[in-house]
Amino acid sequence: MRSFRSIVIWGLIALTGAGALARVASSRGETINAAWLLTAAICTYLVGYRFYARFIATSIFALDADRATPAVRKADGHDYVPTNKWVVFGHHFAAIAGPGPLVGPTLAAQFGYLPGALWIIIGVVLGGAVQDFVILCASVRRDGRSLGQMAKDEIGPVAGITALVAVLGIMIVLISVLALVVVNALKSSPWGTVTITLTIPIAMFMGLYLRYLRPDKVLEASAIGLVMLAGALWAGQWVAENPALAPIFTLTGPTLALLIMAYGFAASVLPVWLLLAPRDYLSAFVKIGVVVALAVGILAVMPPLAMPAVTQFVDGTGPVFSGKVFPFVFITIACGAISGFHALIASGTTPKLLSREPDAKLVGYGAMLTESLVAIMALIAACVLTPGVYFAINAPVAVLGTTAESAALAVQQWGFVLQPGEMDALAKSVGETSLLSRTGGAPSLAVGMAHLFDRALGGGGMALWYHFAIMFEALFILTTLDAGTRVGRFMLQDLGGQLWPRFRDVTWQPAVWMASAMFVSCWGFFLYQGVTDPLGGINSLWPLFGIANQLLATVALCVGTTVIIRMGKARHAWVTLLPLCWLLVVVFTAGWQKLFSADPRIGFLAHATKFSALHAAGTVPPGVPSLEAMPRMVFNDRLDAAVAAFFMISVLVIVVESVRMWVRVVWGRGVAGSSEVPAQSVTLFAAD
Amino acid sequence: MPMLTGSLGKWIAVIRTVIGVPDYERYLRHMRARHPECAVLSQAEFARERQEARYSRPGSRCC
Repeated sequence: MRSFRSIVIWGLIALTGAGALARVASSRGETINAAWLLTAAICTYLVGYRFYARFIATSIFALDADRATPAVRKADGHDYVPTNKWVVFGHHFAAIAGPGPLVGPTLAAQFGYLPGALWIIIGVVLGGAVQDFVILCASVRRDGRSLGQMAKDEIGPVAGITALVAVLGIMIVLISVLALVVVNALKSSPWGTVTITLTIPIAMFMGLYLRYLRPDKVLEASAIGLVMLAGALWAGQWVAENPALAPIFTLTGPTLALLIMAYGFAASVLPVWLLLAPRDYLSAFVKIGVVVALAVGILAVMPPLAMPAVTQFVDGTGPVFSGKVFPFVFITIACGAISGFHALIASGTTPKLLSREPDAKLVGYGAMLTESLVAIMALIAACVLTPGVYFAINAPVAVLGTTAESAALAVQQWGFVLQPGEMDALAKSVGETSLLSRTGGAPSLAVGMAHLFDRALGGGGMALWYHFAIMFEALFILTTLDAGTRVGRFMLQDLGGQLWPRFRDVTWQPAVWMASAMFVSCWGFFLYQGVTDPLGGINSLWPLFGIANQLLATVALCVGTTVIIRMGKARHAWVTLLPLCWLLVVVFTAGWQKLFSADPRIGFLAHATKFSALHAAGTVPPGVPSLEAMPRMVFNDRLDAAVAAFFMISVLVIVVESVRMWVRVVWGRGVAGSSEVPAQSVTLFAAD
Repeated sequence: MPMLTGSLGKWIAVIRTVIGVPDYERYLRHMRARHPECAVLSQAEFARERQEARYSRPGSRCC
């Protein structure tokens, strides 16, 4: 009886999902409601979770409630702590969700909502959630070991070292592109700049409060911090409306870039309790609050999607970033569909908290489905804008020109409508001087969210909601940036310590300062290059970030496949091989095109050649400040090409090493034994 | 503090774990149960030690 009811219920969910998906995919020329997209996503997730995740849990890993997890076996009260599965889920979700799933889908909306939506929904069920889940299971069976360590143990030392260097490279590109998003959001915006600047003293106040006034009262300090954040929002408005103060905080891109670099350096050398940790608490609350608010806003308004299902830009001529829908939609949306970065978290703190093996399904697979839903919501928020407005905000100066008239003309030439004065009115309503060419995704997402919140709550608050959205996006990003810089500094000190042992000493200030300065200059270089790029910087840096993130996913999937094969489940290895093969096709096609495409808008080398020729002829193309700036841009192109090539070679090394291991195991020549910790029953361990 | 042993205390511990701050009470319970012979860290020492550990390795956050 129960099984019959279950068949009916799951049959209905599957049918609803398939129907909604068909409705989304077949819509042409008419606007459809966001509810269809949400229904398609949620039903697909439910079916994926109920059937596919269960298959992986039972048939591959045979997750066993009686087998002690590291949290139980090595319980030490601080690192290894058996924790309720919903709490671990919350912790894991808060750690994997960041600006990535918000910005990527916003940028990919230039292809229309359909390509991005399909990739997010299908990619997560068959790829992203599988990766997180498999790596979590593998790490739980290995005392919570890290991805790099598992790559070394399972595949071999070469793969281990490549993974380590690749992580460092990825962090540099990640931080620079996220910083670029912040710079573009705060450029010429005194309101945003003041609000974000105030978050620094607020965090420091919280830090001092927690250190000296009320030690360890984290929630109390966070509550005070959140109230002060609201005050910062108000202070920003006050400054922006004050004619004497506003110009002081109206900053250019290059100035903001230098300030952010100084901030990253300070965050890396200052004690964590003063700046990093309190910021992190604030960010975690704001993050969860915003995700909930976005969901409530979308459910309350149920907006129609103004963006067409598919735009003409799938042919590669898009203004937001260049390149055809294949492979670039799969590079642009990483977090939300599949993100290699998650593998670092699934093999970091999370496996040390899991109290029962079967909980890994909810935490590994389930949390990633939730992040995917956030990506769908970000896509919806971007697609509630009319295409005319969306492209006017997201297309670079080199395409739109600098005036409202030239922008309206460019948008009309693409076949979209932009009413005269529409952009000015919109900018005014959100309290900004201009919204033209505010590339990077954050401003258009903020406009979309402000629109949703404003409609849900009855109107009149666009400006406040816009700056609230900008504030939380920048808060997330700066939290990733400051903590990332610190981690990068530790990694550099560790690497440098191989040559000069004293460099590794984290209490020796000269080494701390040198390593911090080195790491900040690495990402700062790319940031500055992006800020001064007439094509908006996102065009060159976001694809590099996507390639890097997917590279890390290929490393994770190689480790996952090796783990599955070495535990004698080679016949099920397709579970990770399927997303791995797809990512390899995507990463190599995208990497190849970024390197060798003859179109200077896509290929780094073609762009370098074009600019060299123009420079030799003495011509300055639109958007470039001077002839003297051009040799530097040619150098940047070649450097970006080298970075892309480095990432591709790293992937190759790891894949070749993995395949060698698989062949050895499957043909029975090598060791089949895996590095799993032998099973021990939970009954052997006393509970606390 | 009797309040912290009630349901409010439980919720506070849950929220703290979600944002990545481990629970001191839990640590104390563990040390008393398993290592009664060892000296325990004070609440402030424990908080400091955890914070330093958290920000010195990758894998505590994402993009």
